[in-house]
Amino acid sequence: MTRPALPARTPWRQLQDRIATGLITAAGIGVLLAILAIGVFLFWETLPLLTRFETLSLERLSPLAWGTLKAAIAALVVALPLALGGAIYSALFMSERLRARIKPILELMEAVPGVVVGFVAGLVLAPWVERHLASALALVVWLPLCAVLAGLLWHATPARLRGWLPLGRAGLWLLPWMAAMAVLALWAAPMIEQRWLGDDLVTLLDRRFGLDYTTRNTLIVGLAMGFAVIPGVYSLAEDALHDVPRSLMEGAQALGASRWQALWKVALPMAGPGIFSAAMIGAGRAVGETMIVLMASSNAALISLSPFEGLRSFSAAIAIELPEAPPGGLTYHLLILAALVLFLFTFLVNTLAETVRQRLRRRYRSGGGR
Amino acid sequence: MVAFLNDEPAPVMTFPAGERCLSVRDFSLAYGDKPALKALTLEVPRHRVTAFIGPSGCGKSTLLRSFNRLHDLNESAVHQGRIELEGRDIFARDLNVSELRRRVGMVFQSPNPFPMSIYENVAFGLRLERRLPKRKRDDIIEWALRSAALWDEVKDRLHRSAWQLSGGQQQRLVIARTLAVKPDVLLLDEPASALDPISTLKIEELIRNLKNELTLVLVTHNMQQAARVSDYTAFLQQGELVEYGPTDQVFTNPKRQRTENYITGRVI
Amino acid sequence: MKRLDRRRWPGDALWTWLCAGCVALSLFMLITLLTLLVARGLGHFWPAPLEALTLHSGEQVIGQPVREAPLPHGAGSERLYFTGNRELNGADWRWVALDDIAAVNEPEDAIRLERSPWGDVTGRLAALEVEGERLTGAPARARLQSLLALPAGQRPRGELVLTTAQGSPLVQPLATITAFQAPNALSTLEKAGVWGQGVWRFLSEGPRAANTGGGVWPAIFGTLLMVIVMSVIVTPFGVLAAIYLNEIAHQNRLTRLVRIGVRNLAGVPSIVYGVFGLGVFVYGIGGSIDTWFFDEALPSPTFGTGGLLWASLTLALLTLPVVIVATEEGLARIPDAQREGALALGATRLEMLTRVVLPMATPAMLTGVILAVARAAGEVAPLMLVGVAKLAPQMPLDGEFPYLHLERKFMHLGYHLFDTAFHGDDVEAAIPLVYATALLLVLIVLVLNLTAIFLRHHLRRQQGGSWSRS
Repeated sequence: MTRPALPARTPWRQLQDRIATGLITAAGIGVLLAILAIGVFLFWETLPLLTRFETLSLERLSPLAWGTLKAAIAALVVALPLALGGAIYSALFMSERLRARIKPILELMEAVPGVVVGFVAGLVLAPWVERHLASALALVVWLPLCAVLAGLLWHATPARLRGWLPLGRAGLWLLPWMAAMAVLALWAAPMIEQRWLGDDLVTLLDRRFGLDYTTRNTLIVGLAMGFAVIPGVYSLAEDALHDVPRSLMEGAQALGASRWQALWKVALPMAGPGIFSAAMIGAGRAVGETMIVLMASSNAALISLSPFEGLRSFSAAIAIELPEAPPGGLTYHLLILAALVLFLFTFLVNTLAETVRQRLRRRYRSGGGR
Repeated sequence: MVAFLNDEPAPVMTFPAGERCLSVRDFSLAYGDKPALKALTLEVPRHRVTAFIGPSGCGKSTLLRSFNRLHDLNESAVHQGRIELEGRDIFARDLNVSELRRRVGMVFQSPNPFPMSIYENVAFGLRLERRLPKRKRDDIIEWALRSAALWDEVKDRLHRSAWQLSGGQQQRLVIARTLAVKPDVLLLDEPASALDPISTLKIEELIRNLKNELTLVLVTHNMQQAARVSDYTAFLQQGELVEYGPTDQVFTNPKRQRTENYITGRVI
Repeated sequence: MKRLDRRRWPGDALWTWLCAGCVALSLFMLITLLTLLVARGLGHFWPAPLEALTLHSGEQVIGQPVREAPLPHGAGSERLYFTGNRELNGADWRWVALDDIAAVNEPEDAIRLERSPWGDVTGRLAALEVEGERLTGAPARARLQSLLALPAGQRPRGELVLTTAQGSPLVQPLATITAFQAPNALSTLEKAGVWGQGVWRFLSEGPRAANTGGGVWPAIFGTLLMVIVMSVIVTPFGVLAAIYLNEIAHQNRLTRLVRIGVRNLAGVPSIVYGVFGLGVFVYGIGGSIDTWFFDEALPSPTFGTGGLLWASLTLALLTLPVVIVATEEGLARIPDAQREGALALGATRLEMLTRVVLPMATPAMLTGVILAVARAAGEVAPLMLVGVAKLAPQMPLDGEFPYLHLERKFMHLGYHLFDTAFHGDDVEAAIPLVYATALLLVLIVLVLNLTAIFLRHHLRRQQGGSWSRS
């Protein structure tokens, strides 16, 4: 009945297993090495610059560095308030059912290719804004006011009617309201412009303050790249806020805090690192984005503070100049240095963000689940 | 603690060489620097049901998983000492671990059927080694499902997904899957803890029937269950073997105070 | 003490409404963008009426209205007309101030021809002279339709006589005409037919007239081919790397570090990958291949310049993190009980992986590959460095051995869009096609992303249902 003693290894299956494990390991390590090779290559190719240090390099790179910084700041100025405000609303105030729909839609924004955003910004938005600068600036002030105005009206309506337009779905029903208000502003702004300023704002800027207005300028870059950065920041910040244990928020509200106070005192400090890392990742995206800057800015390498002038970033310079630069020349090495700066910056920023996020996740886990 | 003072050493339980299936000699195992088993020595008799009981974290599952070297998966596990299956060292360098695991089958705490059909689940082990003619394979699968008392419930839907079965059926399917490769030993790691009382009874009945064909080792923290189905019972505590003997004796007349405290439910 | 039932405007509600406004505004931006693309991209193919204008000066103009813009200093607005007849007027476009227009009508015999030299013509159809016959009006249009269906070589000799807006006759040989439109004579249903044909021609034909007309088929094909070659490279390597990280490598500090590194690579700008591709693949490897195998062709490079292979490799590297992260997520979701169950039955690690783990992780892998493809399809910046062409003379796939020419340059939808919009000669003519291209690109990318989302959603539900018990 008992079977014979255990046989030694059956060679074929074990061998197969050994070979496969070896292959997978080789492929895995190979892939990781290939990834490592990116950094090594960039370092290696910038080394020749050390041997022939010329002040010229600094002169050529500094406008690009300024342009990169300016574009990124402009994008973040647009994106951070919108993305964080959106994240706060959809994580804490929006109805759970609507959130399940809206969040993927906003995340899909990220999928819109940069080249499409750049095209619309450069060839549609930029000429429009040039013609209607006053209206465009008016919209920036008017639309947030409209949201608050909607809130005031909402609080003034009797509770019976409010049931039709709950706060939990405000993100959706504010949409037609804002659209109507935008149309109103577009209709009114040119008249106000004529009445008060007496002339077109662009000509006025030039005459009064000596400000040049370039069609494709930093403002346009900020709007377009802001559009591209919003979904990434929104998604991460929203996750961080939504993962704050509900019990903590409810505890604060049970003590008499309003929802907003609970958010300010409990959720924000708790999710702060997550929001910070979301902003960091947004900054990384803004610094490296190529097509949008290329298409929405004039690509003139200059150092200026004016939001109405163009800029040229590292990434755009690489895209334009590198194909023409002969390998081994000074331009070639300079552009690779620019790429190295982009690589190091984004890598460091992302590592920081990721580390913060992981620490945060651990904190939530110890802070008790929902 | 006073009870410790008049505690006498437990007699070592041995079986004649012909009845020994598994024997453990001075076996210790640690995860990193945390010891889980401390120099255990015991023997498991052939064609009997042996139960390991003890509080959670006492090392009973670790010992069970050592029998088919599943703890190999945990890189931090370090062991010392010997375990023999039918007189053969299972840690020998030239031993085929896959073959060992086929001879020492294992059923886990919660049912883990693969995401395949019922038929394919049972055929999984058969397909690994040699190609069987379909007739023969079908016969073995029917036999395995009958042995696990599942055949009548699933014979009409062999090709449906195994995940559609109830928890108790899934657990019996896992047993059938293990039986299909004709193991010598069946390790059961709290096989009924995730099941309802009726399914539990079915599993227990199955265990009693199966001992005619193979050796069973059962880990459980349900003492009634151990008393109902096992022939021998070992009580483990903090990685040590406290008492080992025929089940009647361990439950009615424990030799050591610690065993009695545990069995009678006194806080230890 | 405040009364409990008193309703008040809480000061901090202001912030809540601002936040709600942020969501609404973001949605507003997205919807505006998509609406713009859909309206302009699809609207272009709808045959616009041909208007015959009489100006106050007595001048006659025939053209299709394109858009209106306000004149400076509030002096009303002007309208842009496509008039064609470049050889007569010197330009294809004409701005007409609305105040100058005395009368507008839409004559049925107004016609717009596409011809191979000189671009489009507008005018009124006077007669069709073919095989000794002279046709006018509707029969002429019907005959022209049937004649143009024939290939240019098989058409009978014949001429089309137009009257231009200025009243002078214009004789156009049949052989030079590629298509015609007489939108004023069409019913809505017929217009819909023309619209469908226009969309189809856009998708299936090559570009004409310096990218200002025709379609984008070579760009679609190039994008598709590049994405396929890229998936063939990235799928096995990404999956193997994920398996190595999750199933084989010892889980320790180093693995965690590598995992963070891989995750971060997804955030490295795509242009950096382009630089790497240019420096290593094109100049490094490509240059070496040229000196070893194609030295008879030097100094003109074969592999030492951008091409399909290098572009695919670069994008494969770019999308590796996407595939690795998605696959790893899928692997991590599989409960260990499944692995132990397989091992306990005597399976080796390879058997456990191929028979239990990988089938369960397949949807996750698929999600990763789809996301990678979506990312690659929309990515332009690195391609500008490693191999895209404005107008590729040869397709990278043809009947010539070895059929797939990995060294050739190729056209790409995204780059085509960029190039047409920013480097074309006649941007006004190209813009509608740019809109259509942008819409196509967005549709492709969105459909891919939606597929991935649904796949992932389906996956979560399936696993939530059955694996939670294990």
